[in-house]
Parts: sequence; C-alpha cells; structure tokens
Amino acid sequence: MRTIKEALDATVIEGEDVLDSAVDHVYASDLMSDVLAFGKPDSILLTGLATQQAVISAHMAEFKGIVFVRGKTIKDGSRKFAKDHRLILMSTELDMYDACVRVEAVRTGGGNHPPETVHEDRSADVLLQHEYSIEGSDFGSAGMLSTEVKSMLKTIGFDPKLVRRVGISTYEGEMNVVMHAKRAKVFLTITPALIEVVIDDEGKGIPDVNLAMEKGFSTATEEQRAMGFGAGMGLPNIKHNTDEMELTSEVGKGTKLKMRFYI
Amino acid sequence: MTTKELIDKLGLEPLSKFEHREVNGVFISDMLSDVMTGAQTGNLWLTIQTQKHIVPAANLVDVAAILVTGGKEVPQDTIDLASRFNIAILSSKLPTFELVGKLYALGLGGK
Repeated sequence: MRTIKEALDATVIEGEDVLDSAVDHVYASDLMSDVLAFGKPDSILLTGLATQQAVISAHMAEFKGIVFVRGKTIKDGSRKFAKDHRLILMSTELDMYDACVRVEAVRTGGGNHPPETVHEDRSADVLLQHEYSIEGSDFGSAGMLSTEVKSMLKTIGFDPKLVRRVGISTYEGEMNVVMHAKRAKVFLTITPALIEVVIDDEGKGIPDVNLAMEKGFSTATEEQRAMGFGAGMGLPNIKHNTDEMELTSEVGKGTKLKMRFYI
Repeated sequence: MTTKELIDKLGLEPLSKFEHREVNGVFISDMLSDVMTGAQTGNLWLTIQTQKHIVPAANLVDVAAILVTGGKEVPQDTIDLASRFNIAILSSKLPTFELVGKLYALGLGGK
C-alpha cells in the first residue's frame, strides 16, 4: 500500500498505521455492483466515487483500501466506517487513467509479490453471507427482516428492480413463517452471479406443495385474514418474483423455501 | 401530482413524518399479498388496514403513501414505525368509494 501511495503521490485519509500491508490485486471502477461482482479480496479499489457506498462496498468485497482519484475526499462518517473496519483510504490528484498507468508501472517494475490480473470464473464465490431468524406468530415484528434485507441491498447499490423483487419475495416468505410456523432461520447469500434467500422453518409443514402453489389456496385463520393476510397469493407471488424457487416440506417437521435472484 | 397537492385538495390528514413525493397512480386493497403483487412504485395505496405490518409492505413496494380510509384510527406504533422509515400515512374520514371518485376526478389513473 505504501508503494502505491508513493507512486500516486497520494494523501492518506485513514489507515496510516496499516499502510505497510500487502495488496494482491488492483480494481478500478466507479460502479459498485461491479466491485461486488468482480473484485478480489485484498485488492485496492481505484474509484472516482467518493461516497459511503464505495466504502461499504469495498468492505463487503474485503478490499484492503480505496484510492479516490481526481482529488476527491470523503465525509467523516465514511472515514469512521473505514477506521472501524480497517480500510485504508487515500486520495490522489491524478485522474483514473493516470492513476492506473502508474499502478501498472509499479506492478511491471518488479517487487516480491506483483499483483496479477485475474480472469477466473468467480460465480461460485460468496461475497456476503448473513443469517437471521424469525419467530412464528410475532406479528409485531412481521416484515422487519425483509425491510432490513432490502435496506442492505439498496445500500450496496443493487438495481432497484432487483432489490424490490428480493424484498417482496422475502416479505411473503417471512409472513408465511409468522402465520404458519414456529420459527425459522433465514440465510442470505450474495455471489457475483446471484442473491439467494433460504427460509428454513420448523413447523407443521405443507401436506401438498402443488396445491399450496395454486393461486387463492389458503389455510390462514379468520383472524389472519382480518389483518390482510391469507389471500392465497403469497407463494404464487414469490414464484413470479424469483428466477428460481424451490419449495420442499415435510409434514410435522417444517418447510424450506429456496429463492434465487440473478444479478 | 404530489402528496402535498393531494393532502390540500382532498383535506387529508398526514399522520406520520415523511417527505412529499410524486404520486403516479392509485391502488386499492386490504390484502397484503395483493398490494405486493399489484401496487407499483409511486402509487397511492388506499386501505382500511392499520396494523404495523402495512409499513414494511409499503416500504418494500415503495408506494408514495398509504391512505387509510373511512376515518379508521391508526395505532401509534404503526405511525411511529412509518415515521422511522419515512413512509407517508394519510388519513381521510371519507369512505374508499367516495375518495376514489375524487381521485379519479383529479386525473389519477390506476397503476
């Protein structure tokens, strides 16, 4: 990092104390979804996007740090985030092209561990994994998990239409747990190719999965219907909003709903 | 049309804290899944549901505002949650049918 700092005449904004750490790769982009999709861990990011989104994305992609080009700096809140997550932040007056040229010169100029350009298929790599839980019958918190998932995906910078599809499907899945199951574990996984949400519940299970998938079929109670649930549209709605949906159930044990959304 | 213009023209009562935004159409339903399936981003959502879970639903679908009709009382915890997420909850004493007539006359279409 120090070598890069010197090559770019950069100013260190945050992380002076960890400047002697090694960088394996360099990634230059202003599109944070690209960073999340293609960035390798332990890279340094060259970007003109001096926002909180860049800092969070770099952290999510496990980067070592960011160099802001064209002399951009960043707000205090993002500095604190970087400090808390041991991200190095630097700023250079150079534009993106010149900065890339100089870093490339460092790379070809030798050194013990020259960074390499990577062209491997990374579709199986996990960029982010989160686990949540939902309690059955907890109507007071119903919908909060899907709201949290939505906010996070939005912050990362995914396409709003994709975020909406994931949010709506997760909400329907969450509501099914609240209405019909005892509790569930929810696993959110993001890879460069897709977002996956798995809702694995403990509960009474579904005797006939094909019937449950039919529009209008519902086993909701009168009380749940009065609250606006049980239209028999939840599962068909999930089917409509996902790219892949897998529903498996065992009566008396529980139901597992796997949803995939292509990025 | 904005939420501000709607409030002024129809005498609606804003219950939560929110920023005004553009309304591009109207969607009516009291079933949550129906809203999830049918309502579009930026719609005004007319409902008589008042429980807390209408807030995450409105947030996820990204409606412009929830309009609770028929003067139905909205619990404080619903209003607080809406304020936290910057979701507009508006209230009107008029029943849904009459509001629809007025909204239609104002030129607002369906989704």
